[in-house]
Amino acid sequence: MTLQEAPPITALLDPETVQSIADEIWPTLVGDGEAFVPVPVAPPAEVVSAWVTISGPWNGAVVLTCAPATAGALAESVLMTRPPTVVDDEDVADALGELANVLGGNIKSVLPGPSSLGLPQIGSAPTTGRLDDVCRVNGQWRGQSLTITVQGATQALHPSGTEVPQ
Amino acid sequence: MRALVIDDSRAMRRIVGSILKDFGFEVREAGDGQQALDALQEGKAEGWVPDLCCIDWNMPVMDGLQFVVAVRANPELRQVTLMMVTTESETGQIVKALAAGAHEYLIKPFTADALRDKLALLGLLPEEVSA
Amino acid sequence: MTLTATSFDWVRQLVHRESAIVLQPGKEYLVEARLLPMAQQRGMSGVSELVESVRNRPDPATTRRIVEALTTNETSWFRDGDPFTALTSTVLPQLLAARRPDERLQIWSAACSSGQEAYTIAMLLADALPNAPTRVSITATDLSQQMVERTRAGRFSQLEVNRGLPATMLVRHFTRSGNEWEIAPALRRMITASECNLAAPLPRMGPFDVVYLRNVLIYFDLPTKQAILTRVRQLMRPDGWLFLGAAETTLGVDENWERVVLGRGSAYRPRKGA
Repeated sequence: MTLQEAPPITALLDPETVQSIADEIWPTLVGDGEAFVPVPVAPPAEVVSAWVTISGPWNGAVVLTCAPATAGALAESVLMTRPPTVVDDEDVADALGELANVLGGNIKSVLPGPSSLGLPQIGSAPTTGRLDDVCRVNGQWRGQSLTITVQGATQALHPSGTEVPQ
Repeated sequence: MRALVIDDSRAMRRIVGSILKDFGFEVREAGDGQQALDALQEGKAEGWVPDLCCIDWNMPVMDGLQFVVAVRANPELRQVTLMMVTTESETGQIVKALAAGAHEYLIKPFTADALRDKLALLGLLPEEVSA
Repeated sequence: MTLTATSFDWVRQLVHRESAIVLQPGKEYLVEARLLPMAQQRGMSGVSELVESVRNRPDPATTRRIVEALTTNETSWFRDGDPFTALTSTVLPQLLAARRPDERLQIWSAACSSGQEAYTIAMLLADALPNAPTRVSITATDLSQQMVERTRAGRFSQLEVNRGLPATMLVRHFTRSGNEWEIAPALRRMITASECNLAAPLPRMGPFDVVYLRNVLIYFDLPTKQAILTRVRQLMRPDGWLFLGAAETTLGVDENWERVVLGRGSAYRPRKGA
């Protein structure tokens, strides 16, 4: 395969692929019978994000974004905590980060490799610079807004200056 | 049976650990490869050698692959079974981990049944739960 | 668009009737997630519309797919490893010694589901015999057309390859294809998949040297079990081998079989003169 024939990143990674990965993660990691439903609901006013970076032939980040309360509920579900046990901030960061990590690792595997995965980070937004959205799935979990975004240069498979076939 | 669960996510340590406990394992935890090597060292002093290490790949300080190499370089730990439990799932990486000396490879996300299947393959399940 | 209580209840009852699996209240999300792709495929707005359409116009094919979507559990590759250990350690050497080099060994995976059993056999034989693709043919059958298509495709999800497939075999015999893993074409060509109802007269097949008929008989009553075992025996070579599920036996069902202990498990062989 010549460089000119390399597929654009969007040909390898579409919302259906991201959804199929989420379909495997939610019932296993979040809990039996849980699902990431790809039907958008109103976005929350305040958000928290967890993300991992991907570095290799393609550079970008996989980001999971939701309201802080949703992040807390996700952590409770992942950790299978039952009242009166409560999750603390560190638990929430850890669980949300692990979800981003598992999403990121599986998304990385459908992209050209070899590439490496960064450690999970958490904050209001990724600090990976201004990146385009390659793919974004706005969905919900237990009725709460949840967004999975893959960010990165859409033409990064080509060396700079190479024309990308349309 | 004894297991050392090595993962920088405590949520993941708790998930893997609780499944292993259900199968009768005595479980210790470590947050990265270096902590795991320290835990093995400490364990040796008290006669605690794990039968199994479940090893995440991406961790701070020392990653899972470096840990596998370090354990394989130590003849005293030859009988310890090493299983990667990671979201890394490129074919090349699985090959690399196996070549470094990992015995099995479980990809995240996984179900408790999938972990049980791997334990069965490795001969680490007590008879009564292997059926 | 959310699933109505009536739709959920209808699905619960259907799944319970067809599979004995109980969907607890609160599993609406599960139903929603598993059935949404089917609804979308049919250009419907949501799962409730799908359920309503099947309720109003009964459609066995769609009903069966609904049950399958909600009950499909990933099958293990080396599920109860003994019948596979026995294949390479005992059965294969004996068959190779008994057959001419140009005789193709025929193996039948009689309830192949999504193909894990048939491909496990193919991988083991490919690792044991350099000429496996020309020396062995594997017939894989299932009642469900969807399962037959899945077996033909030889593509498995991440969760499926996680179920008891040794990592060394995964990297040796599969390549990644998007989010899935695809079996090597040479192994896929060893397998012929078709629909087959074991409870009805069987099509002309075989004669088989080895038959895997595991975890099927448990679903049938005694006369049907006997009929199935008789029909299977008629498609087998006299010195063939039958593997049943760990909880199944021919003892007390059909006396035309001889039980042979192989390692920790057992196999059954047609009784001489039967």
